[in-house]
Amino acid sequence: MKTRSLKNAWFAALAVASGAFANGETEFVTFVGCPIYRDTDLGRKSGCWLAEDPATGIRYDVTDGPTKPQVGKMSLFEGVVTKDPNTCGGIVLRPVRQAVLDEPCPIAIIPPEEFPGRPFVLPPEVLKPTWEPRELPQPPYRTQEFHIVFDFGNDFLIYQYAELITEKISLYVKASKPKTVRITGYAATQPIVVSGRTLAEPASLAKARADMVAEALSRLGVDRKIMRIETNTKPQPIAGLPTPGLESSKRRVTVRIEL
Amino acid sequence: MRIVSKSAAVGAIAACTSLAWIAASIGESAPDDRWWSPNESRTFFERLDYANSEGVSTTLNVNGPTPTGGHPFFSSLGPNGRACVTCHQPADGMSVSVETVRERWRVTNGRDPIFAAIDGSDCPSLPQDQESSHSMLLNHGLFRIARPWPPRDADGKPIEPEFTIEVVRDPKGCNLDPQYGLKSPQPMVSVYRRPRPATNIKYLTAVGFPFEPKQGLPLPTDPEIGQMISGNLMADGRMPTIRAQIRDAMRVHLQVPGTPSPAAVNTIEQFLSGLYSAQSVHRLGGLLNEDGAEGGPETLRDAREGDLQYGGSPIWKEFFAWKDAAKNASLTPEQRAFRESVARGAEIFSKRTFLIDNSAGITNMGFGNPVRNSCAFCHNMQRTGMDVAPGQVDLGTTNLPTANSLPDFPLFKLTCREGKQHPHLGRVVYTTDPGFALTTGKCIDIGKITIQQMRALAARPPYFANGSAKTLREIVDFYDRRYRIGLTEQEKQDLTNLMSVL
Repeated sequence: MKTRSLKNAWFAALAVASGAFANGETEFVTFVGCPIYRDTDLGRKSGCWLAEDPATGIRYDVTDGPTKPQVGKMSLFEGVVTKDPNTCGGIVLRPVRQAVLDEPCPIAIIPPEEFPGRPFVLPPEVLKPTWEPRELPQPPYRTQEFHIVFDFGNDFLIYQYAELITEKISLYVKASKPKTVRITGYAATQPIVVSGRTLAEPASLAKARADMVAEALSRLGVDRKIMRIETNTKPQPIAGLPTPGLESSKRRVTVRIEL
Repeated sequence: MRIVSKSAAVGAIAACTSLAWIAASIGESAPDDRWWSPNESRTFFERLDYANSEGVSTTLNVNGPTPTGGHPFFSSLGPNGRACVTCHQPADGMSVSVETVRERWRVTNGRDPIFAAIDGSDCPSLPQDQESSHSMLLNHGLFRIARPWPPRDADGKPIEPEFTIEVVRDPKGCNLDPQYGLKSPQPMVSVYRRPRPATNIKYLTAVGFPFEPKQGLPLPTDPEIGQMISGNLMADGRMPTIRAQIRDAMRVHLQVPGTPSPAAVNTIEQFLSGLYSAQSVHRLGGLLNEDGAEGGPETLRDAREGDLQYGGSPIWKEFFAWKDAAKNASLTPEQRAFRESVARGAEIFSKRTFLIDNSAGITNMGFGNPVRNSCAFCHNMQRTGMDVAPGQVDLGTTNLPTANSLPDFPLFKLTCREGKQHPHLGRVVYTTDPGFALTTGKCIDIGKITIQQMRALAARPPYFANGSAKTLREIVDFYDRRYRIGLTEQEKQDLTNLMSVL
């Protein structure tokens, strides 16, 4: 499935953020495909991930997702088309997300050929070592919302992303001493059709996601007595999240700190 | 040809006068002095040096000279005559080597408490006076670990497992035993594992980061100690803290009845927290903290625990200085070649990348399957080679088809219920040790084993939790085969030499 988006404000902002087409339409693609690993070697974690949209035959570079595919298993891919240099053998999608589906496909590992790949770059912000002191947010405090995005069909807190947000939440709670920490888990239960497959998240995932975040916050010292767990299985998309499209923003947990 | 092999060693030691004391030290180590029996009244000095096949390993005791008479670590507290020291011997890097076990059988005709029926034999129901009944310990250095089935949580309540377990093969008979087996009144799964070194504790309990990426959650806090737990203890993570591990060992391995005394637990914990062990001298390389190298236990004692290695500060950089060994004109050719080999091994460890695939705990948590990285991807804690992002990984040492051929071991068939599966092996997994799954009951954890420290290795073969690598070289060979790394013979020897000085 290939979707040309409307020129709404969210996509305009996204286009600027991602370096996608500067003054035209943002091109968003979503498809289910069999991932291909191109074994380029520019150091650790430097291999390329590619996938082909079966509807168009176009091969995309999906390397930049916060989680990576697994060879031999189909993935759902969602991304914004960029004009970035082709260093892996496909059109670069950024931002891009993938989700491993429970559907086998042939294992595909290919050589570098003429493609150099890209060196791995640490995210701009990573969790600090334990021995580095944490600074508490300073007053004034106000009601705050934090969002944590998940992969399709999954309640796993994504490494080098979710732990930063949960720590920020725990520090804000510690500093502001709120009355309530409202944790709302969302599941995108409304079916979408992608590459001929009807995909929908189970309703139970909303609770599972909320519980996972609650457990994380509890382990970081947030008192369960002030947590309120809620679920929503018909979520509305929201803008401003590190997602390539509106649909993937539905797969989230929103933590609202109410003073 | 730069390979530095064992065969060159004897000549090198003899030729190098600066190493003469090492040879003397090795010669002086009579077996009776090496073995610490329970209830002796020796003093555990500030520094203990013991010879091994690669040179000398050293344990520092920062507690100062410790009288062992009446000390709970060194006393037989239960009915089977064992003390903690029975399986955590100073000469064996605070573990126990298979060579030492065999020697104890020879010296005591099998009557040493290390061969206690409960776990020093293949199964307590076997005739205990027969050597064949202790084959896992004598042949592989393995103790029987009996895990309750179904698994229990921290409060002792049964966990509903995601899988069923069937015994496919049971050469020692314990898993089908009417008293100790899976269908006994108190169902147990018997697996066989090496004792981990009780030393360098501050590294084992270090919390480098407060997040456990393999589970996708912050580390839990232990209510007893009020601190986050490291997640790096015990092969299957069944005990979260050193204190809990001490209590468990007292009850299970020493068969201490009732609740172990808190005073004894405190004393043991304090003692262990002061121990640092590492190889300190190599028969070819000489002193391991010479010419800019920072091997030996002093570095472990003085360094901060839980530091993550990275490109600008790679693990085992302690030995990089030996890249320039040729500048030291006083070294023999063999000594120089060995030191250069160690330095190369240290670089290979962090820089030689390869494709890591189908390893649950690594390749199913967002990094991708496969992921290109080096040995240091998982062995990333400075100075010990544990995982700072702690937890358990399925390297394939126990799960088929990647495990070595292990005909002596039981084989289990684990079948996951509908909707659950091992990330890479599917719903049905054949394994010689379900590992972490025996603690969590989860299919995702089948075959996962906690990454262990890499110090004082030369003092305590065999290796891996199931002892399936008899030598350091066999560790390298396993990884080379498992991940199709394509190491050259020189690279294999360099990595082997590196591990021999850790």
